[in-house]
Amino acid sequence: MAYPLGTVRTLLDTDHVTPATRQALQERLDKQPDWQGLTLRFFTPDEAELLKQLTARLLPQPADREQIDVINPVDHRLAHNESDGWRYDVLPADPDAWRMGLTAFQEAAQAQFGKPFTQLDSPQQDQLIGQMQQGTATGASLTALQSKHFFEDMLAELVSLYVSHPLAQEEMGYVGMADKPRWDRIGLNELEEREK
Amino acid sequence: MTTYSTNDTVDAVVIGTGAGGAPLLARLAMAGLRVVALEAGAEKDPKTEYATDERAQEFLFWNDERLSAGENPLAFGSNNSGTGVGGSTLHYTAYTPRAQPDDMQMRTEFGVAADWPMDYHTDIEPYYDELEHFLGISGPSDYPWGPKRKRNYPLPPLPLNGAAQLMQRGCAELGIRTSPAANAALSGRYYQEGVGWREACTNRGFCQAGCSIGAKASMDVTFIPLARAHGAEVRANAFVTTFDRDTQGRITAVVYVQDGQTYRQKCRNVFLCAGAVETPRLLLINELANSSGQVGRNVMAHPGLQIWGEFDEDVRPYKGIPGGLISEDTHRPFAGGSADFAGGYLLQSIGVMPVTYMKQLARGRGLWGPALMEAMSRYNHVAGINILGDGLPYDHNYLELSDELDARGLPKPRVYHTDGDNEKKMNAHAEVIMRNIWSAAGAKNVWAFPRAAHIIGTCRMGHSPDEAVVNANGQSFDIPNLYISDNSTFPSSLSVNPALTIMALALRTADRFLKSGE
Repeated sequence: MAYPLGTVRTLLDTDHVTPATRQALQERLDKQPDWQGLTLRFFTPDEAELLKQLTARLLPQPADREQIDVINPVDHRLAHNESDGWRYDVLPADPDAWRMGLTAFQEAAQAQFGKPFTQLDSPQQDQLIGQMQQGTATGASLTALQSKHFFEDMLAELVSLYVSHPLAQEEMGYVGMADKPRWDRIGLNELEEREK
Repeated sequence: MTTYSTNDTVDAVVIGTGAGGAPLLARLAMAGLRVVALEAGAEKDPKTEYATDERAQEFLFWNDERLSAGENPLAFGSNNSGTGVGGSTLHYTAYTPRAQPDDMQMRTEFGVAADWPMDYHTDIEPYYDELEHFLGISGPSDYPWGPKRKRNYPLPPLPLNGAAQLMQRGCAELGIRTSPAANAALSGRYYQEGVGWREACTNRGFCQAGCSIGAKASMDVTFIPLARAHGAEVRANAFVTTFDRDTQGRITAVVYVQDGQTYRQKCRNVFLCAGAVETPRLLLINELANSSGQVGRNVMAHPGLQIWGEFDEDVRPYKGIPGGLISEDTHRPFAGGSADFAGGYLLQSIGVMPVTYMKQLARGRGLWGPALMEAMSRYNHVAGINILGDGLPYDHNYLELSDELDARGLPKPRVYHTDGDNEKKMNAHAEVIMRNIWSAAGAKNVWAFPRAAHIIGTCRMGHSPDEAVVNANGQSFDIPNLYISDNSTFPSSLSVNPALTIMALALRTADRFLKSGE
């Protein structure tokens, strides 16, 4: 069950949220998406455009609210060479893996449709996404295992960033950030007032 | 607070402040020893600096890159390793069942892994008892499995959340016994020596992203303050790179980097408690303590298959202690003839934070597009169960140094992990049982997420210097003033979560060391 738009913003102003929690979420809410890619440090403009279209297929957001930007956080991480603690041994370090993976989308698009991924229609894009996920995309210079693992890593990171955003959280019915002073009603079908 | 100069030859340097280091640090300090702990991570104030937000809490994880190889590569980062004063106890789930005596006799019982070089009843059980009371563990008064305990848990169990109630329902239907689980989180206010009053758990469900209340018994609110009260010094952001040694090979100083500066802390003894990746990595980098050739060998992980399902009820998986319920009816499932593998596993209900759940769903089910958004919208109706099983050591599972260097110029570790036949059979056995439980509880859209947790065993303890890195006291066979105290020394992985046993071994190692008079 989705909460109405603005539910988390309202909760952030209450005593149900700690200052540290409020700060983390407010920053995320206030961050203006950079759709022109002006602040990108890692991705090239072409890669950013590809990723934007790819993300639109992977995480189709409701059109009637501001859009959650998952590209800039990835760009920031890769530009600073930050890791999440591990990677599949068959893949190179994350910055190289992302370059290689995005290139593979373009290669497969060219090989199969004779044009860049960004000029394909949605069914064609979905078809290539499915192939990359399965490791069966012809034309892509990745092994099947690399293709599967890269896709899995990419999807997991994009989804994590998306779900971390308060707008996505209220849509999925999550208000766990409002945990002060405590949760007493924790059993099945038990809700606190602030969860209703 | 006591501080020492690096030129003071302290009695002991403890490397790492997690479940292996902190209890030992406190024990040595209480015996009057001059001790310094070096912690690679930062020290934060959970009450003011921890957010109820998974992304903001990522600083709790060991995020230096590790290379995961083999057919079942292990996830690190949020899994298996932590950083900060308190180590991975800062983000452990606080699930603290005791190992059972037969867990430590896998060689005798099944001819696999290795027996623990000690006696459960005299060497481990008394420490379990001490720890449960020191940490304030909440648990049932009448626990159905394992040897009868000397004393009840000091606090009653934590309340059951939705996932725990569903597992209870499904298991009751199938005749599987369940019990509220033992958790190192306070079900009531608790007074603790050297620490003071700790407040009760508020059911915020964020154990794996850090407890901001102080209710969870992470080391930063238990053994570390106790150690400090008795004169131990803890240095944060201190990353150990090497050691100075004398002509006999004994360690004379621990070399570490803090804020870009290199320091050498003189010492008489070293306790290496950096966990089953960083402990062997440090030894391999420095080519130390490895005459057995066993450093980095015997990598084990717990089969941790999860089964997720969606229910009609509002579950709200973000509330309550995540692992509220337990069953150990599958501790030795072959007894009834239903299994054909060595060892066994426990069953646990699991609540889950939203990012963790959706990340796993992305990896495990590979959903994207409208199907992903649809699954996301059902988060409040999700509950899981998982197993924690005894994973065996194999020659093909080990840790080595790769050719790739990290930001410090040190080789990144590479860890090979491929399930053996035993793990495959155990997971298959467990998957059937868990799917049946979830089906009996009314689950829909059930899916399985294969995983392994808790890397263990890279510096095995044993009786013989040919086969083990340390003896039963945790002492290196090669370097007499080097001790290891963490999950790397486990000879077998146990069929329970490791934290309580790591702490028990740490206290035992400290007591043996003190008794030896070194």
